Amino acid sequence: MTRAHAVWVIYVSLAAALLLTLLPLPMDWRGFRPDVAALALFYWVLALPHRVGVATAFTVGVTQDLIEGAPLGLSSPGLMLATLLLLYNYQRLRQFDLLQQSLAVLVLLLLSAGIEQWLRNGIDVPTVPWAGVAGMICSMLFWVPIRTVLRHSRRYYEVH
Amino acid sequence: MLTLLCLSILFIFREHPRVTAVQRGAVDVVAFTSNIVLAPFDAWDRLLESVRSRNALQDELLRLQQENRVLKGKAQRLASLLSENARYKALLKSARDIEDELIAAQISSVSPDPARHLVMLDKGAADGVEEGQPVLGAEGLIGQIVLVDEYNSRALLITDSAHALPVQVNRSGLRAIAEGSGDIDRLVIRHLAATTDIRAGDLLVTSGLGGRFPHGYPVARVTNVEIAAGDAFAVVSAAPASALDRGRHVLVVAQSSRFEAAVAP
Repeated sequence: MTRAHAVWVIYVSLAAALLLTLLPLPMDWRGFRPDVAALALFYWVLALPHRVGVATAFTVGVTQDLIEGAPLGLSSPGLMLATLLLLYNYQRLRQFDLLQQSLAVLVLLLLSAGIEQWLRNGIDVPTVPWAGVAGMICSMLFWVPIRTVLRHSRRYYEVH
Repeated sequence: MLTLLCLSILFIFREHPRVTAVQRGAVDVVAFTSNIVLAPFDAWDRLLESVRSRNALQDELLRLQQENRVLKGKAQRLASLLSENARYKALLKSARDIEDELIAAQISSVSPDPARHLVMLDKGAADGVEEGQPVLGAEGLIGQIVLVDEYNSRALLITDSAHALPVQVNRSGLRAIAEGSGDIDRLVIRHLAATTDIRAGDLLVTSGLGGRFPHGYPVARVTNVEIAAGDAFAVVSAAPASALDRGRHVLVVAQSSRFEAAVAP
């Protein structure tokens, strides 16, 4: 394993993505907010699987819960499972073109959101059954821009 | 391991004091960071405010003065009614009304979770806010405090689909439970017998049962009563009296007349 270089870029970008969830949206539009934090997490797992993994996914999930005021541990398991799948398949996903990657990301988001819904049902926290899918499709559309931005910053700061 | 940790926190230790302490502690941090994120938007709003025309300001001043006069007139009648009510209560030897103490707060942000109606208020334990206190909007009850940190707190709105509160129809005194529907402009009353006397336009006020909300604050106005032929129950929809997605200024009822409520008719 090479020596870590400029790893702070990873954490700064994840923190910035989490800050984006704090931007105000009208009450009824909140469902369409792209899940930028999850996308940034997926990008880093895909790019640097030896640096970013399940523990980072756990941290991102807990931070999301604290931001939303949700019961602790609601978002983490889904993100962790998606990250795990990504860790097993990152070599394949790197070969995909952008459309295929976006679709794969959509599947991962659906998976993690599905687990979150299941947990929410388990402890009686309200869910949005179909608005959630619209949000995930919005997230999918944001995969390419986020990937581009993070890729540039990774190359610029030579994160590895 | 971590999954196990998550699941155990979710299903077993959700109410554990340490877990809630972490959630409470995060309220101030989240509020602080979101204030930083929101600062440019606030600055823009203030800029717009400062360049409003003199005419518009004069119009608003006039409107507010008139409104103030009307409200003062109403308050005079209210004072006499309150004292009259107190005399009657003394006659009935029931508990004395405790003055509600109000804390003015502002909604500083809304939770990003689209399934919840959770808002952040800019007042906390240092200002006398406690968990369970009712939150009032301009025209009526809008929610209650659920998490309190030192300087900020989170409030759950009455339309959240995990929220329900005991209400009473002002016209007939009929008691019911108004549940949140998950839509910001709608409450639902289920399990009312189809023959119940309730109509569109009825005002729902807090009944004071359950001891959490004091008696008599307006909550919602009935918009629709749906009785399907053959069904035992009517489905009643109501619109919150206060527009929950408008306006930022709210009042937290700090010292509520909780125990007095039990003797309401």
